[in-house]
Amino acid sequence: MSELRILTEHTDRDDLHEIAVYEELGGYRALRKALRDMEPEQVLGELEESGLRGRGGAGFSMGKKASFLPKGSMDKFLCCNADESEPGAFKDRLLMQKNPHLLVEGCIIGSIAAGANKGFIFIRGEYSHQADVLDAAVAEAYERGYLGDRILGSDHSFSLVVHRGQGAYICGEETALLDGLEGKRGNPRLKPPFPANQGLYQGPTLINNVETLCCTPYIIDRGKEWFRSIGTEQSAGPKLVSISGDVQRPGNYEIELGIPVRDVIYGLGGGPPEGREVKCFFPGGSSAPVLTAEHLDLPFTYEDMAQAGSMLGTASVIVVDDSQPLVPLALRLAEFYRHESCGKCVPCREGTNWTVKMLERIDEGEATPMDLEIMAQVQENIIGNCLCVLGDSMAMPIGSMIKHFREEFEAHIAAARERRQLEEAAAFSAGELAATAEAGPA
Amino acid sequence: MGRPEPNEIVFEIDGREVRAPEGMMLVDAAKRGDVEIPYFCYEPKLGQPVGACRMCLVEIEGMPKLQTSCSTPVKDGMVVTTTSDQVKKAQNAVVEFLLVNHPLDCPVCDKGGECPLQDISFGWGAGRSRMIEPKRHFKKPLELSPLVAIDRERCILCYRCVRFSQEVAEDYQLVFLERGDHTFVGTHHGRPYVAPFSGNIIELCPVGALTSSAYRFRARPWDIEDSGSLCPLCPSQCNVSLTIRDDAKVVRVLARDNADVDDGWLCDKGRFAYQSIHSAERITAPLVRDGGYLREVSWKRALDEAEAALDKAGERTAALVGGQATNEEGFLVQHLLRKGLGSPHVDSASGDVRGPEQARVLARPDLAAKVSDIDHASAVLVVDTELVDEAPILDLRVRKAARRNNARVIVASSRPSALDPNAEATIRFAPGMADAVLAELGAALGSPRGGVGFASRGGSREEDVRGAAEVLRDAEDVVILWGERVAHAERGVQGIEALLALAGALGIADKPESGLIEIPAGSNGRGLREVGCTPRLAPGLQDADATGMSATEMATGEHPALLLVHTDPVEERRERDEWLQALEDAGTVIAFSGFRTDALEQHADVVFPAEAHAEKEGTLTHPDGRLQRLRQAIGYPNEVRAAWWVLAELCERAGAGVGAESPPALTEKVAEAVPFYAGITLDEIGGRGVRWQEREAASSLPAAEQSEEQLEAPPELAPGLRLGVRPSLWGGPEVEHSPSLSFLAGQTRAELSPADAERLGIAPGDEVVVSVNGTSVRAPAAVRSAVNAGDVFLVGDRLPGGSVEVTKA
Amino acid sequence: MQRAGDEGALQQPLPPGWDEAVDVEADPAVIPDPAEVDVPSDLREEIEALMAKYPDRHSATLPALGAAQRVHGWCSNEAIRQVAAVMQVTPAYLSSVVTFYDMLRAQPIGSRYVYVCTSVSCHLSNAKAVYDAIWEEARDQGLEDVELREFECLGACDMAPMASIDGRYVGPLSEDDAPEIVAALREKREVLPGRSLEDKGYKLPWESR
Ligand SMILES: Cc1cc2nc3c(=O)[nH]c(=O)nc-3n(C[C@H](O)[C@H](O)[C@H](O)COP(=O)(O)O)c2cc1C
Ligand code: SF4
Ligand code: FES
Repeated sequence: MSELRILTEHTDRDDLHEIAVYEELGGYRALRKALRDMEPEQVLGELEESGLRGRGGAGFSMGKKASFLPKGSMDKFLCCNADESEPGAFKDRLLMQKNPHLLVEGCIIGSIAAGANKGFIFIRGEYSHQADVLDAAVAEAYERGYLGDRILGSDHSFSLVVHRGQGAYICGEETALLDGLEGKRGNPRLKPPFPANQGLYQGPTLINNVETLCCTPYIIDRGKEWFRSIGTEQSAGPKLVSISGDVQRPGNYEIELGIPVRDVIYGLGGGPPEGREVKCFFPGGSSAPVLTAEHLDLPFTYEDMAQAGSMLGTASVIVVDDSQPLVPLALRLAEFYRHESCGKCVPCREGTNWTVKMLERIDEGEATPMDLEIMAQVQENIIGNCLCVLGDSMAMPIGSMIKHFREEFEAHIAAARERRQLEEAAAFSAGELAATAEAGPA
Repeated sequence: MGRPEPNEIVFEIDGREVRAPEGMMLVDAAKRGDVEIPYFCYEPKLGQPVGACRMCLVEIEGMPKLQTSCSTPVKDGMVVTTTSDQVKKAQNAVVEFLLVNHPLDCPVCDKGGECPLQDISFGWGAGRSRMIEPKRHFKKPLELSPLVAIDRERCILCYRCVRFSQEVAEDYQLVFLERGDHTFVGTHHGRPYVAPFSGNIIELCPVGALTSSAYRFRARPWDIEDSGSLCPLCPSQCNVSLTIRDDAKVVRVLARDNADVDDGWLCDKGRFAYQSIHSAERITAPLVRDGGYLREVSWKRALDEAEAALDKAGERTAALVGGQATNEEGFLVQHLLRKGLGSPHVDSASGDVRGPEQARVLARPDLAAKVSDIDHASAVLVVDTELVDEAPILDLRVRKAARRNNARVIVASSRPSALDPNAEATIRFAPGMADAVLAELGAALGSPRGGVGFASRGGSREEDVRGAAEVLRDAEDVVILWGERVAHAERGVQGIEALLALAGALGIADKPESGLIEIPAGSNGRGLREVGCTPRLAPGLQDADATGMSATEMATGEHPALLLVHTDPVEERRERDEWLQALEDAGTVIAFSGFRTDALEQHADVVFPAEAHAEKEGTLTHPDGRLQRLRQAIGYPNEVRAAWWVLAELCERAGAGVGAESPPALTEKVAEAVPFYAGITLDEIGGRGVRWQEREAASSLPAAEQSEEQLEAPPELAPGLRLGVRPSLWGGPEVEHSPSLSFLAGQTRAELSPADAERLGIAPGDEVVVSVNGTSVRAPAAVRSAVNAGDVFLVGDRLPGGSVEVTKA
Repeated sequence: MQRAGDEGALQQPLPPGWDEAVDVEADPAVIPDPAEVDVPSDLREEIEALMAKYPDRHSATLPALGAAQRVHGWCSNEAIRQVAAVMQVTPAYLSSVVTFYDMLRAQPIGSRYVYVCTSVSCHLSNAKAVYDAIWEEARDQGLEDVELREFECLGACDMAPMASIDGRYVGPLSEDDAPEIVAALREKREVLPGRSLEDKGYKLPWESR
């Protein structure tokens, strides 16, 4: 199979989280190199030219983002986004639980590139075991002098704190994450100002996903050319994919981007259960518009997924087979976004809630085909008008479902109406019977 | 820091070229080109834009998505479109989303007719709602506090009210609870939102979600009129707009935004105490003691009796003028005494203790700051005043300076202050020992007048003073807000000298945006001094021909006639027992009062009904020197007549007529008498006021030189507890007689340090007796970590000075 | 046993305060003076240590509330007052945070938790039936002091359907696991030993490597 083992090379071991084991396997070598043999600008340059794109969803160049931070001696922050709450995503969990020192090392290298002196790993509170593992790793790294003042005798100082969330998907949005880290309700902030200029505590801040940061030690250790040699021109480097839903072997797999989607879903995930076909799939977590069986032969890359009208996102592939009715799935999806909407901006707060209500009506047989039209328009009215992209993250997949499967929605509406009419008729005659019974002679 | 001066730029909006200062938010800049962009959540007074409502989306060339114009600063060459299909579609969408959960109960809504949501739905909505699902439901309206009701169904979650609570008042009591479409505005655990500025949220709410319990259903927008005036209830003198129903009744008080005074906020006292105007308990006819009781009499009889008594007492008449008196009233009182009766015995109720030369130095324009200087100061030093109680709107102003412009705040006070959390340095000193700290601070900053080692004698820690000095040393512009309390201390004269020495060390006189602002004990404390209501100073801060008795001296005097203008010293001054005796001993007590008080009931012989502030004409002088106008908004009830008229009549009868028949004429007389007010007229004062320091006549302030003498070291602190007496915002007859505020009136508290509480066996909430030389009051105890051991504060009540004892009741 | 609502997490009952007027007679909830609030010393020290970890003490809010919840079982009025006194913030600030985050309990619905993921991938794997089975078992066995609720994606779709029991991720689950899960919870035993992601040697059933 087209599986890679780079980030996951040793993750089958049970003791990789121990610093001695990690070091023995070459860990913290990159950090030494970055501190001793390279200037911070070189570290930054290496990352920038490696083609590493953010693994948290948006796919923005990691090095470029780090270069946006102003120079100077003020406090600068690095925040690792370990909130991983998007339905379908569970790759960061694996890295943190199995290979915590890779993340710690990645954070330190990121801090060198960005000139940051204080770092935080914002991990979702539900990952309590993983947070414990990280806490232990951070403590070990402090002990060995990888963290703290003047790391390994260099000029670079960097502190790192593991910060546990308390349950809110929106804290994965980078500015909401900052609010959560500042001890507030996790509400996204207006951008601009961008975090690179005014982020945590209003200071310059670099925010990167766990997997993004985990790539950096390899880039420093093995070089940008090596990194670029994996994957495609625009989708460089190894990539974890989380495969779930209707597949036989759900799990995390590491791949070279560019292999056909079919290889991911069938080759790695084992395809849908016996006798079932792929009806549709989310290529990049629940926020990505669904694609259908006809897209199975596209290369799995940032660019091809975007071209097909969806996105690679976190590369979390959720597979839906042909036995699954879409209306309940759409409803479940919309409920997720309604529940997770922070409520700050109007289109997202009211749009998600309205969409749930419409889908409920469809399911309950109270809707007409016109409602489908309204629902589609409501999705359009959400897209692009919200404060952050959580609203869009519901509107895009729901919109895509209606677009690709309009007939199924229409059939569902019709069938549910019919069922409801029958039920009502039955209830009516039952009521009549009861009424006659009551009125009749005792 | 100084004030930034933005460049003018040119941008294009809907095809028009428009000029605007660079960096202005697009919503505001658009108005300059007559383009109206709808919005709900934007309100620059609340701080940074939040971009929550999404109503203000516009298209900007070069940007892929629509942008919120409330958060986009204009740049040169920007090309903006607000009329494209894309923008219209977004606007329709947002309105539709807003109405998804908004009830359509406009016909019964208080906001109907003045509702931004109604207007914007009409102007920018598609005029239909496709939502047929049930809306979110709340019971309505519910009480949010005794003053404010909330109708959560109408709330559009615009963030305005919660941002006010969190980022302006910083009381952080009002918050969003829950999240997503479950979000609602509320408080912790069903507690009421009771805070000094809570009422502002009513005005901020763009829908009918937050309403005033006192105003609800009292009027609809079409049977009311607005009348601009100011609030004379404290020295902040906020500008207000009174809502008048049927030309006769004040039904509401709204802010009238004046950035030089109040920033458009009001405290709850100013907002709700209008109810006292229409209290049934008001005195609305002249009263004369007859058969032991005060009885309503004709104006003629009251005036005749007063005239006779004054005539008889002549040069032995004494007069005390309440802090809310206007400049005109104060002027007339001292004129009546000095010119009509030949008596020098006139003072303001707070009592003026400073020396004449000190008064003149303190009035110097080069040492003065104006309110808006606070905004841009690099450091703000607050000395011995609790702004939130004594000039509440300035408390907000200091918070704003710290939050928005990073001003560094220093609090030097004996009682812990609500501003402590905002302060970079705090200094505590024993009550009455401000002079020690000020002297030491001055010395630390290089004053040649000495002061080293004083602070510890005042009960302060040297390192606190050093920390504060550090901040001040780095500061460019410094504004010092100091409480008149400094001057009233036993060592008050030294206190002022120490303050002036500090000002000298900071070079304030040479920095136009640095300066002092005195927070007087009375609303018009400054004006009354400047028009001559002090025993040693004639109008215009010139030496009086003869020195009269001060308020403190009056308390122990025997007066053939005692004139009390808008004050009852037994209710207001610390030496209440002495005053009670003075009233009893006085030959004739003539008072101007809105309400009957115990002391008046027992001892007044003639009482003239006082106008309420909405009935009054005249001027007040703001602590920063701004003359402002109090305007009559409604007619007098029953027999009430203007106090100025009564005073002018008494002058006339005493043979010293002022020759002014109307308020404008009277103001002109005042301006003639006070050289540095010369030429000021009501017209010039207008709706915004005018600072006398900024007019040419300011140069007629009598020249005054700062002393260069060495400061006198304070004595060692006496052992035992030391008492500080502090007013509460909720004092005064206006609060007591306003039904919706009465829940706040009369609250007293004795604040102790944890160490003293433990030593005395007092737990939080215990009832304690605080006594000084046999006079005692009861109050519940509060234990405060930030109170220095040895200090006790009596809040909301009074006791004279002296050694104090606290015991569990 | 308590649970958030009949339809699970997604349709909670009205939160406290939704339809209630305030108590107008009560005092406003201002920042409590530390001298007036008793805080268990362990909790105080933990919160103080947390505050010291960050450049701004407010950053300690989420972990501090988590700590108080551990002590009190939920973010009760008392718990909030204690945190407010140590952190010197208003109770309302804390309440607004508590009610925002799913893992902080604004009501006394159990000091332990069972979050059953019924989000997208688990939904596709019939998680609702697992949740219902656990719920019925909990009712029948009389499980108490446990917050049982449907939860949004827990980041373990590979184990779908799954649940988090006080942070211990277990799965894949079937309806048949319900009696044992509830019994173990009642008896305070480890739930499904060997079937948790954190157990040594844990493998998904189809994993060979
Ligand atoms: C609603 C929402 C949730 C998000 N959740 C996550 C998340 O859990 N983890 C993550 O790394 N990025 C998440 N993101 C993306 C972040 O905003 C941000 O782009 C990312 O952390 C940047 O890191 P990267 O450049 O390394 O990808 C989310 C974005 C949105 C809008
Ligand atoms: S109550 Fe009014 S001001 Fe407050 S959020 Fe709701 S609509 Fe806005
Ligand atoms: S005014 Fe711009 S988003 Fe509300």
